[in-house]
Amino acid sequence: MKLATIGVGNAGSKVIDRMIEFEQDTGRDLCRHSLVINTARTDLAKPEYIPEDRRVLIGETHMKAKGHGVGGDAAIGAEVAQQDIDEIRRIFDDVEIHEVDAILVAAGLGGGTGSGAGPVVIDELQTMYDEPVYGLGMLPGKYEGGRPALNAARSLQSFVTKVDNFIAFDNDAWRSRGQTIEEGYDEMNQELATRIVTLLAAGEVDETDVGENAMDSSDIMRTMEIGGVSSIGYASTDIDAPDEGLLSKFSEEEVSEMESTDAAKIKGLVRRAVNSRLTIPGDVASADRALIVFAGRPEDISRKGVESARDWLEQETETVDVLAGDDPRPNSDTLAAVVLLSNVTETPRIDEIQEQAVDAQDTIEQQEAVREEEIESLITDDDNDLDPIV
Amino acid sequence: MKLSLFGVGDAGTRLLNEFVQAEADTGRNFTDGNVLAFNTAAETFGEATVIPEERQILIGDTHPEVNQYVDPESDDPASSPGGGDAAPGDGSTAPGVDADPDLGATVAGDELPEIRRALDLVDDTEVDAAMLVVGLGGGTGAGVGSVLLEELESIYESPIYVLGVLPASTESDQRALTAARAVRTFVPMADAVLPVDNDAWRRDSEPLDEQYDRINEAVTTRVLSLFAAGETEPESVSEMRIDPADMRRTLAVGGLASIGYSTVEVETDSDGLIARLWRLLGLADETPDTKTDAATIKRLVRRTLESKLTLPCDITSADRVLLILSGPPGDISRKGFETGRYLLEQETTTVEVLAGDEPVPTASTITATVLLSNVTDVPRIDELQRRAVDHLPDAETPSESGSSTDGDDGDHGFEFQDGGVDPDEADSAESDGDATDGAGESDGESDADAAAAAGEDDESVESTPATTDGE
Repeated sequence: MKLATIGVGNAGSKVIDRMIEFEQDTGRDLCRHSLVINTARTDLAKPEYIPEDRRVLIGETHMKAKGHGVGGDAAIGAEVAQQDIDEIRRIFDDVEIHEVDAILVAAGLGGGTGSGAGPVVIDELQTMYDEPVYGLGMLPGKYEGGRPALNAARSLQSFVTKVDNFIAFDNDAWRSRGQTIEEGYDEMNQELATRIVTLLAAGEVDETDVGENAMDSSDIMRTMEIGGVSSIGYASTDIDAPDEGLLSKFSEEEVSEMESTDAAKIKGLVRRAVNSRLTIPGDVASADRALIVFAGRPEDISRKGVESARDWLEQETETVDVLAGDDPRPNSDTLAAVVLLSNVTETPRIDEIQEQAVDAQDTIEQQEAVREEEIESLITDDDNDLDPIV
Repeated sequence: MKLSLFGVGDAGTRLLNEFVQAEADTGRNFTDGNVLAFNTAAETFGEATVIPEERQILIGDTHPEVNQYVDPESDDPASSPGGGDAAPGDGSTAPGVDADPDLGATVAGDELPEIRRALDLVDDTEVDAAMLVVGLGGGTGAGVGSVLLEELESIYESPIYVLGVLPASTESDQRALTAARAVRTFVPMADAVLPVDNDAWRRDSEPLDEQYDRINEAVTTRVLSLFAAGETEPESVSEMRIDPADMRRTLAVGGLASIGYSTVEVETDSDGLIARLWRLLGLADETPDTKTDAATIKRLVRRTLESKLTLPCDITSADRVLLILSGPPGDISRKGFETGRYLLEQETTTVEVLAGDEPVPTASTITATVLLSNVTDVPRIDELQRRAVDHLPDAETPSESGSSTDGDDGDHGFEFQDGGVDPDEADSAESDGDATDGAGESDGESDADAAAAAGEDDESVESTPATTDGE
């Protein structure tokens, strides 16, 4: 697939940056256009792979933002994006849309910019283009607190209804890794970038001679077109690069034995991808459609393995709509399986976020209701005998 | 974030001077020179060593009711030495507006054109907010401060905060009354008021001048850690930066705000040069224990909440909260950051908690700074109001005599007249000073051992040269 990618806010920009890093490191060419949008000038300096002229500061003239962020307030994030929509549209004009298959908008949903400005950007893209617009959203962890949960719960509704498919990433599922703040978030972003790029870069090559088993962009798009919230599983294994001509040393019998080992390996990889951490944990059986991409050297992808892996996933997901295909990477030293579970409807984490959000909203409303009264009562004496000076 | 600072009165001018000095010392350039000092008496300007002279604005010096400091050797009542050698000693009236906030306000109102001209020296488009720095008990700080705040509110688009020093319980009832009225005046007008409670910071075993220094330093440290986070050159790239918008949003609820601050040494054994080098080369055989690190940060945040707050209060009454963790980026654990933030949410019972990090690669400590916005359960303010009401002229038991003989009508700011009094004796000393007030005033404040303390109190007050007296 060929993508135009847009990162909104700090978290969204960073994940786009990591995606480009990963595709460059692995010789992929997924992100044909990349763009980051932020409300804080300082955060725009962070991406390493996004050219200066593809970084857009919005809200510079907004009274409350002034180029210094929106203070975690999604309403201001949305307001700012709306106000600068012409600026955003102008930047989109540079995107040669006929060169891409789809647009991916990445955002953190716990903050103010991603959750607020993200949906505004998506609205605009949907109006301007016929290509599908996918969302990639990072959900805040429980320990990020009530306000991020409220932002996320509200923004999730906007995202899911506006995008063609929403890939969710649960910060909590990936928590407790990494020593420092920097390492922790960087590690998460790398994990996410690996999954997204490995999945979506499949079928990026248009040439038809890549083989009948190759995954095609249209397959991925078909899996995603049903909408809803999707989750991605991933597993990889290192390939021991055999010496040239090593295979010729084995007898026919030995080779066929190795093939069955390879088949088991492939199936094992897919099981691991689904059962290990999904980008958002969910009930696999609740998935609507599923798709498996095998990325690696063609000779390592056993057909038998692919078939049995697909059979297995069909049972797990209780759906017949499971596609499987290859993403040949002749020079790769790993074999990776990436599983897309499209429209997963049972995700405990989203329920938790919604509960936390409702509680947070109650607390905020209670505080607002008594705020003025409490301040007044604090600054005046009991009988209101003290006069202000002016 | 960038702030413009306006020091008003003696305490405000001194503190402003501290801020400018601290900026230079720490390399946290958060005013860009956008500072102004206003006073009705020139003498404190002598102490303003790092505030440029053209930014020291004397107002009211021609007003008939305003006294400039009169040198005993000088015949000219209008002359004002403005030097550091300010020790009037006697003085039936203090220089400036003589602790009268209404006079302060009148004078400032009369001189609005002068004030406006001075404000042109500050570029409000270059800053994210303005901050008024005043002694709330002073005639100038409260009076001129009120008018200045009104003026700033009408001309500035950005938020305006007030950093106001509350009078100590050992200071006069007149100052308590002024402060209570100032709180009543500032809070509705300002975007947020950050009072500093002197009493919380007293340490009586300490020599007086060391106390001033320590308290001034403590306040500037806290305000800088909070407002000047990230304002270093070259700018550090933080993972979760606290933006000016985060600060503004936290303080946008108004009311009174309080700051907590605490630091912890970075463990040096695991972070020695060799260990760092090994880790850098990816050769460390094991990553340092994340759990321990997270626990350290969590403890640090807890300790910050339990630390001496600039305004002691019930933290559960806070409306919004902001946390900044500052330190070597390699030592701030992500898990610690998150558990620390969650702890704040649980302890303060609010969900509006913003948190950020400020990487300081050269630091040897991790610092947690917590801003508690709109705290509404503040015993110190209630106590101040009780004293103020009792001191109202038409109150049943007027106590004019007590306060005027105390002689501390001036704008003391942090400078205590009487260092030798225990905090809990201080209240009783005050009420005892107004010995004629009956039980009404001393209720709940007076101790049995008040008499002795009061004796000490009066003596020390009278014998202390009034270096800080007056406006």
